[in-house]
Parts: sequence; structure tokens; C-alpha cells
Amino acid sequence: MSKDYNYDDQGQFFPYFILTILGLILVPITYSSFAPSKQLGTSKEPLIKSSEYVPPHHEKVEAARRRQAKKERRLKRFTALVLGWAAFSYMCYLIATTSLVEGKIWDPYDILGISTSATEKQIKSHYKRMSLKFHPDKIRPGPNETMEMLNDRFVEITKAYKALTDEEIRNNYIQYGHPDGKQSFSIGIALPTWIVAEGNTYYVLAVYGLLFGILLPYFVGKWWYGTKKFTKDGVMYESAGRLFKEYDETLDEERLVEALTVGDEIKEITGGVNEKEWVNGEDATVEKKLEQAGFPETEMKALNRHEGWRRRALGLLWAYLYRIDLGSDKLDAAKLDVAAAAIALNRSFNSISLAFGNLQPLISSIRLSQHIIQAVVPGESPLLQVPHFTPSIVSAIEQDGGKNHWSVQRLMSLPETKRKKLCLAAGLSEPEYTTAMTFAQALPALKIEAAFFKVMGEKFITPSSLVQFVMKVRIVPPGSKPPPVHPKDLLDEDPDETDVEALLGRSSRAPKKSHDLPLAHAPFYPRDAHPAWHMFLADVRQGKLVVPPHTITGFEKSPEGFTVVTAKMQFQAPPQAGEYGFTAMLMSDSYIGVDAAQPVTLVVSDPGKVERIEEVDDISDPEEDSLAGQMNAMRGGPVKKRHVEDEDDDEDDDDDEEDSDTDGEADGVSDTDTETEDES
Amino acid sequence: MVALPSLISLVAPISYIAVLLSLLIVFSSLYRKRKAAKAASLEPWFPAHMARDIYLSLLHQEDSTVVPERMLKAALVVRAREDIKRLIKLQQSKNALQVLLQKGCVGDDLWTRFQRAEGELEEELTDVATEADAYQDGWGQVIFKTANEMVNHERIRERAARVATEATAERAWWDQKKSERAAVGLASKYRK
Repeated sequence: MSKDYNYDDQGQFFPYFILTILGLILVPITYSSFAPSKQLGTSKEPLIKSSEYVPPHHEKVEAARRRQAKKERRLKRFTALVLGWAAFSYMCYLIATTSLVEGKIWDPYDILGISTSATEKQIKSHYKRMSLKFHPDKIRPGPNETMEMLNDRFVEITKAYKALTDEEIRNNYIQYGHPDGKQSFSIGIALPTWIVAEGNTYYVLAVYGLLFGILLPYFVGKWWYGTKKFTKDGVMYESAGRLFKEYDETLDEERLVEALTVGDEIKEITGGVNEKEWVNGEDATVEKKLEQAGFPETEMKALNRHEGWRRRALGLLWAYLYRIDLGSDKLDAAKLDVAAAAIALNRSFNSISLAFGNLQPLISSIRLSQHIIQAVVPGESPLLQVPHFTPSIVSAIEQDGGKNHWSVQRLMSLPETKRKKLCLAAGLSEPEYTTAMTFAQALPALKIEAAFFKVMGEKFITPSSLVQFVMKVRIVPPGSKPPPVHPKDLLDEDPDETDVEALLGRSSRAPKKSHDLPLAHAPFYPRDAHPAWHMFLADVRQGKLVVPPHTITGFEKSPEGFTVVTAKMQFQAPPQAGEYGFTAMLMSDSYIGVDAAQPVTLVVSDPGKVERIEEVDDISDPEEDSLAGQMNAMRGGPVKKRHVEDEDDDEDDDDDEEDSDTDGEADGVSDTDTETEDES
Repeated sequence: MVALPSLISLVAPISYIAVLLSLLIVFSSLYRKRKAAKAASLEPWFPAHMARDIYLSLLHQEDSTVVPERMLKAALVVRAREDIKRLIKLQQSKNALQVLLQKGCVGDDLWTRFQRAEGELEEELTDVATEADAYQDGWGQVIFKTANEMVNHERIRERAARVATEATAERAWWDQKKSERAAVGLASKYRK
């Protein structure tokens, strides 16, 4: 062993070593534990702030929510974090309390006891005073002092004084940090000596081998295979594979309910290792209760096709959708767990149907998500999501609706007195009616006010250009009378020409989704449901998806008070010029009966034609006396502003016609040749 | 005698290398065996091919029963029809599966299973074509066209049947509704 290094005998550097290692581990783990989650929606605010509605058997739903919260608490990780930080602070304490024995920096000012800003004159007079006071000839040693100590002190003081005044000694001080010139230096290793002590070699080697030979590969392997078990959508690969096999382009909601129960997540609840717990005829109980609730025979046949855990799971999922109380804590807990697992599996199925691009399964998947979150059987009335509305009340209210169910909007469009009379006659009590109306008036139904295509900074949409689909929507709760839309709100202005980042779509001022949608009102669903809207373009006639959904979980502005908010998505225009008729769809994943659709036309113009039209434009616009080529190069600012003003003047005159006038606005604002056909 | 100390000093590195190599060999063989076992245990993409089994058992009768050629040909066409159905299914899912695999929404196992099914089907198709050619020269080229027509026809018939059943169900529902309303109307008339 070389004598050049000395190990840390007094343990004065070892804390630094431990501190660094702990910091390297603790800081990232702490950040990842407390960082805001990137999942859909972060709002924790309920839709109805002071909801007094307690659905039947709510305590079971609450229990399921508590169980989930407990699972998500990650107790082990937090204990480890607390212990780690405790060790960290202890190391800090050690460092703070152990004074360094050697290596103290020689500081002449400190020795003289003056400030670093003192002038030479001050230093001289100070030294004179000190030499009078501390000269060994002048003073006697104190009780714990010897003559030698006094001498040393005086030498130090003189040295410090010389370092500040004498040229040569000052140079020494500046160059080597000491008035006597170069000092000897030593290299230390921040490890305690016992690690390299003779007798401990094998123990240290064993720890080293354990750490790098066994524990490191074990944890890396565990992490790797752990992440490899789940897909991007958070379900097991096995389940995703089975769902892929279940995919069928004609799948409807009822069949999807059946398909979702293939997942391994559900098997863990109703079978697998727990298979033995289900031998006491629970399946028969579930199926009997289903039959009593009016479970159709065709579905019963489908149920009978399965066996074991799959059959149990399907029965429980249907029981959840029918809101059946199964009468035993175990069955009800399993029922709620199956519903939550079905939502996760449905997300995976959603991705699968996106990859196929067929409309029917995609819509089934979104609709089933609404139905599971609201615990309403597919095909049943949307009125069932209103508090206190049971199937019998709903059928009394709907009267002779034929096979078409009433939506919440239809109920609320009735005059107040008539609506109240109808509901009370159907069997609701007065306070129940008030609670129901509180929800119905808060239901966030979106209304599409305008929908158009545009290419940023262009007048026309040319083949293969990057098109923006802009949707102007506002929340119009059922039964409310929204004020007319201000035409300016329907405009979509391009970002400033100089803001290149924004023009390229990766804006530095990325739209801040500061206003997340409140939590969905889902009293039967055993989790917090973060609502989202899926906005997509479809070709309904061919049953194909054209532009995959853009998911909206919040808006830039607060959508309250009928404020018009904007939703955008980008896609590439088709390579051929022509007119394309699409349907813009806006579907909720949490509320039933609030989906909106609107036909839109994408006009892709021939690039040759566009240039000709632009030339014509130049002639008619005397202010912009530029050539067509230059026009192309500098398109933008002043030209567009003038257009917008023109449009505004026009619109102010006929405020009443706004709704039918979307075509004009769309054209004017986006400066593109697109049309929006209004449904009304 | 002189070489002895150098030999002894070689023992340590050689044994080190030997241990290392043997560990690597053991690991690789175990890993490969497990992987092969896993691949073998993968579920096949399609269920058992009934039509093919029927055809083959007709062809290879154990006792000397003579199966008429017409029956064999019919069984072969049925087998081709099943193959076409499977082919359509595979073709439809191939693109989607590739997209999903890239996005990490499905696992590699599914892709392995898919490729295996694809390979099996390819062999099955060539087998059917050669069988057909054995019956009549040139039939191999048209047998799949015939089978495709059969599949299309079947699909149309299914759809028609579904619409018909839906129509009767709707009819029954509305009739019932009508009679209920008539009863209510009658009752109110009597009350007057």
C-alpha cells in the first residue's frame, strides 16, 4: 500500500462520501414520488361542489375507493424515503459538527482580526497595537499557557502582517496560500481505515460481490421485466393480446362488455389463484339476481357460453351495469373491482380499434366507457345518470318515447312546471327532484359553435399541407339559455409572424391547460373519473376513422359562463385536390347522451389554381402592390388584419344571424377556402 | 522442473476463465431452453382447422372404403373456404398489429403468434392448390376464387338473416305497444 494516500482515520471526510451517494439516490426518487402525475386530467374538484346525493349502497363504493387509495399510497417507498432523508440529515449534522483537523486555510486577516477591506495604514496601526499587546516580552503566560504558545502566537501575527505588507512574502502567500512558500500536501481517500484493515478483506469483498454480482442484476432485471409486463395503456400484454383477438369490426357495446372480460386483470379478481374462494354457489346468486333485474335472454345465452372465472366476471360486470346489490360484501367488492378493471381494458381496446381505423368498434368503446362510468346498461336511457332516477321512474317519465330514450337535454327542455309535475308524478319526492335538477343543470354538455379547417398563414388548403382543424365549443348545460355567441370568439387568429416556434406548432408558449375539467359525477364508479372529450374526424358513410382522436382534458380558458373555448388538432391534408365530406365528432368518455357531431367539408385546392386566384387578389387590392411570387413569400400580417376587420363590420350588423353565418366567419378568419355546414 | 512454478501460476487465470465460460454456457442454454418452451406454449392464432381435418380423414380412409371423388372435391372446396376466411382475417389485422406493436400497445408474443399463423396458412394454401391440381389440371388457380365467392355469399346471407330477425323483433315490439295503447284508449273511452 502506498504511503501517499491516507485513509480517513477520524471519519471527517466519510460523511461527505455518504452524503453524495445518498443525494444521488434520494433526490431523483423524491422528485419522481412527488412530481405531478402526467395522467389524464389532474383536477380533484368535483362537478357538483356540495352534493348531498348519496346513492343506494354508497358505502361499498366508498370502501372500494379507500382500498384503491391504500394501494396507491406506496407505503414502502415512503418509509424508505423518510429513512434516507433521516440518514442524509444526520450526515449533514456530522459534517457541521466535526471541525476539520487539518487543511485549515491560512488567512492573515483572520489572524490579525481585521476586516479584508482594511487599508495598509489601518493594518500597520493595528499591528502596532497588537504587537504591544501580544509581544512575549510584554505579557505573562496565563493559567493554561506556556511561554512557547505566546511565542508562536506572536510569530503568526508577524507572519500575517508581513504577508499583507512585505512584497516577497505577499507573493508567497498569493502563489502558495502560505507566507512560508510551498506547503506539503497530502491526498486522502474518504473511506474509513477499517475497510482496508487486514482482517476485514473477505467481508468487504463479500459485500462488494453481493452488491454488484447479485443485487444489481436482480433489481435491474426486476425493473426490466416489470415494465415489460404492461403495455403503454397500462394493461398486461396478455390481456391486450386477447383483446386484439376479440376485435371485430362490427362489435357493438353489448358484445364489447363480453369481450372486455377476457383480460388477465379481471381473471385475478374472479379466478386464477382465488378460484377456490368461489365455490359456494355465488355464480348462481349473481345470475338469479340478473334475471330478476330483467337481464335479456340473448345476453343470458351469451353468458352461458362461458365457464369458470370468465362467466363469473361477465355476470359481475352486468350486475354492476344493472346497479344490482348482490347482498354480500365479497361479491359487491368483486363487482366494483371488475368495473374498474373493465375501464382499463377498454382503454386498451380503444387503442386497438384506433389502429384498425374502423368507426363502429371505436364508438362502441367510447360509449361503453360512458356507460361503465355511469353504471348504465348500454342502450338504456341517459336519464339514468341523473341522481335518484331509477329505471321505473325513467320509464314513467319517458311515457311513449318508442324505442328512443330521452336525453337529459330533452327532459330539461320542458318548461319548469311541466317538468316538475312529470317528475313528481313519476315518483320523485320534492328534495329528490331538487338534487336531480342540480345535476342536470351542471351536466357539461358541449355545443359545437363553429368547426373549420385552416392552414396557418395560408389562404387555401393545398394538397399534403399541415391542416389545423379548429373547433369552437362552449359548455351549454341542459335547460340553460345561452347568450348568442360573440362573432369575435369564433375567430382563430394565427400567432404572430415572428413567433416561429408557435408557427411550427411546438410553441414555446404551449397552450396552458390551466382549466382542467372537474371530476366526473360518477357516484357508482369505484374510482375518481377524470372526464375527457375525444375529438375526431370520421367518414361515416364508409365507417372509417379519418383523423384519430385528440383527447381534451382541459381548456386554456375557463369554460364557465358560456365562454367559447377552442380545441384544435393537426393532420396532413390528402394528397389529391378535391372536396372531402367528413363528420367532426366530439364524444365524452364519462357522460351519456352529450356527444356532438357536425358535418364539415375539407376543400383541398389545386396548387396551380391557388396561385392564379392569388394573382387576381393582388390586382383588386391596390395597397399590396406586389407580385404574386412576393405575395407568396410574405403572406400574412397586414393583409389578414384588414380582412378580419371587414368581417367584423359585416357581422355586427346582423348579430341575430350568427348561427347560420358560420360559413362567412370561417372563411374570413382562417383565410382558407373551407366551409362549415351548420346542422340547424 | 523449472517450468513448474510458471504452471502453478497459470492455474488461477485458467480456472477463472473456465468458471466464467462454463457459467456463460449454462446461462445461455437455460435461457434458450426456457425461451423455446415459452414459444412452444404460445396459443395458436386460430382454433383447430376442422375443414382440413375432415378432408384429410376422407382422403386417408383406414379400411378400404371408397370415398367418391365428388365428396373429396367438395371437402377440398370447404377447406379452401376456411383458408380464405383465415387469410382475410390475417390481412385485416396485419397493419393494425404492426402499428400497435410499434406503439407498445401489444406484446411481442402476439406478433410471434401472428407470424407463425401466417407461415402455416401459406403452407396450407399451397397444399390446397397442389391437391386441387391433382384432381384436375389448372383447378389450383381458380379454387380460391370459388372459395372467395362462397365466403362473400355467406356473408350476404348472414346479413340478410340478421335484418330479417331484427325486423320481426321490432314488429312484435311495436305490435305489443300498439295493442297496449289501444287497450288504454278503450279503457278511457269506457270511463267516459
